[in-house]
Amino acid sequence: MGNPNCGKTALFNSLTGARAKVANYAGVTVEKRLGSLAGLGRPAELIDLPGTYSLYVASPDEQVARRVILGEMAGEAAPDVLVAVVDATNIKLGLRLVLELQALGLPMILALNLADAARSCGITIDTAALSQQLGMPVVETVAVRKNGVADLQAALAECAANAGRRSGQLTLPERAEAVEDVYARIDKLLASCVSAPSHAPVWQDKLDALVMHPVLGLVLLATILLLMFQAVFAWAAPVMDAIEGSMGWLGESAGALLPAGILHDFVVDGLIAGVGGVLVFLPQIIILFAFILALEDSGYLPRAAFLLDRLMRGVGLSGRSFIPMLSSFACAVPGIMSTRSIADPKERLVTILTAPLMTCSARLPVYAVVIGAFVPQQSVWGVFNLQGLTLFALYIAGIVSAALVAWLMHRREAASQGFPLLLELPNYRWPNAYHFLLGLKERAWIFLRRVGTIILALSIVLWFLATFPHAPANATLPAIEYSFAGMLGKAMQPLFDPLGFNWQMCIALIPAMAAREVAVSALATVYAVGGEDALGGALAHDWGLPVALAYLAWFVYAPQCLATIAVVRRETNSLRATIVFTGYLFALAYLGALLVRQIGALWA
Amino acid sequence: MSHHVTPLHLLPKGARATITGIASHSHFGELDAQVTLRLKELGFLPGAMLQVIGFGLFGADPVAVRINGTKFGLRRSEAAKILTTTHQA
Repeated sequence: MGNPNCGKTALFNSLTGARAKVANYAGVTVEKRLGSLAGLGRPAELIDLPGTYSLYVASPDEQVARRVILGEMAGEAAPDVLVAVVDATNIKLGLRLVLELQALGLPMILALNLADAARSCGITIDTAALSQQLGMPVVETVAVRKNGVADLQAALAECAANAGRRSGQLTLPERAEAVEDVYARIDKLLASCVSAPSHAPVWQDKLDALVMHPVLGLVLLATILLLMFQAVFAWAAPVMDAIEGSMGWLGESAGALLPAGILHDFVVDGLIAGVGGVLVFLPQIIILFAFILALEDSGYLPRAAFLLDRLMRGVGLSGRSFIPMLSSFACAVPGIMSTRSIADPKERLVTILTAPLMTCSARLPVYAVVIGAFVPQQSVWGVFNLQGLTLFALYIAGIVSAALVAWLMHRREAASQGFPLLLELPNYRWPNAYHFLLGLKERAWIFLRRVGTIILALSIVLWFLATFPHAPANATLPAIEYSFAGMLGKAMQPLFDPLGFNWQMCIALIPAMAAREVAVSALATVYAVGGEDALGGALAHDWGLPVALAYLAWFVYAPQCLATIAVVRRETNSLRATIVFTGYLFALAYLGALLVRQIGALWA
Repeated sequence: MSHHVTPLHLLPKGARATITGIASHSHFGELDAQVTLRLKELGFLPGAMLQVIGFGLFGADPVAVRINGTKFGLRRSEAAKILTTTHQA
């Protein structure tokens, strides 16, 4: 365990071979994580804990660390040996916690992580002297490059050979000494073992002068976000065309091989059209994650949180809510999990309830298809393209709505006492190429697995629903009108009639509850077309612009994701909050779509 | 060196100062003692040197400071708890 953002999880990954998420801001890890540790001569388990500054004052994620160490977690063994991780560039803060931990009396090893960064800042540490004075083994490590990991392993093995099993719970001793005295001891320790220059590298400060400038910093933030959404649309296009082309080719060749009939239709219209329709969005999702991962790893996010703190306070949130919100652009589930680093319970609840309004990557395919079909491809002021701007506007709609909802919720509650912000601003660093690529691969793999499992399964189910029962011999309408899907859609349609949704659109809403992307393949199946362009053509032919916009508005708000609802239930631990959450979002979706349609119809 | 005591939130950008004490602040209500403790744990102790490195958008809120080589973002109300004496440039 150790301070936030000192590299505990990176170290955990190199020791256990795990692939837990690593980034450059405090509070990435909010839950304990277990991994088995080999080579110690006896079976051992390594526990990765969320970072904490102290055993005594704590936000929900910090409490996890304290409870595990003290053995208060029900039904789980308490650790026998502690590995304290300290950021070598910030050793003073880290050692304070180390001394606090030492008072617990457990065997300990100190890992001085980020040793390379410390050296390049001109910090030199006499590990032998430090080890002697602290009375525990001290190892220098660079977790992201696996330097020193072998040394740490050796120290652990030695420790494991000597350590006995502890039994029962520890009680946290009363604070034995004032914070001032602890720091005085640390200063003495550091004076004899560490020499450090008084200044951080100048380029970091210069960069901060720009990034944290009240005006330029915000301009920079807006530019980064706009560039991100532009890139998602513009850069992905060639690769998407290629994927679509090969899917079309696959459909045709498979179609040519199979005899005309039920199997032919199943493979071509069900499998290939359904899965291909979603697969095509892989490049967009990779680009989105490339941006998010690079931002996470650079140390920029806490600064953006710092800049936005005042704005977010206006609606009852704080800079601390920014990172969960930004993560929710990828997926609301990890976004909601990361709210555990918010100390104020009320702010945390509001963040949980509004984070899903951030446009997650699963909505992207739906937006992309509808925008592609209805918004002309033209450039605005030479630089932007209209489709990219529309997408940006949808993201903004989500953000503005979240702000409004947060403000309303905030107004309803009585003002509570203030909670401190106290945001650590880590050093900038270049994103680590290995972790960056690993992260991208992981995200791409998650997406592909979704395509291969849940989306594939839903496509098959949909195809069956859309195919059976067959149309009667004397049918005058398209076959799908006689199928289960047609019946279901028509049964739902009256409810959505005020919004202008036709029954095809209603059908697509059902599988979208399991995975929003499937709305796209559902529409492709219902309209019996393959490929994004063909689907766009069918939609443009069948829907009016106001209805298309209303459909988008529905997707901005609707809690169309069972996984999110489940995680809200778990994190709030309140059925009432979950019902409020689901109810208000459906209500907003319905109202939003209704308004958009009516205004659009007036205008048209 | 001036002996005039200034709370951190009133220091200008770029100022270097030495902390003289942590005061209580009504804003945090009954949590005030905890906030004081946390500030101290992060190294905001009498005698420590800090430098103001930047401000948020409106009205110098929040404030970014560097202390012991680490940078922190503090809100105005937290910064107001930290009393300092400035160094003459």
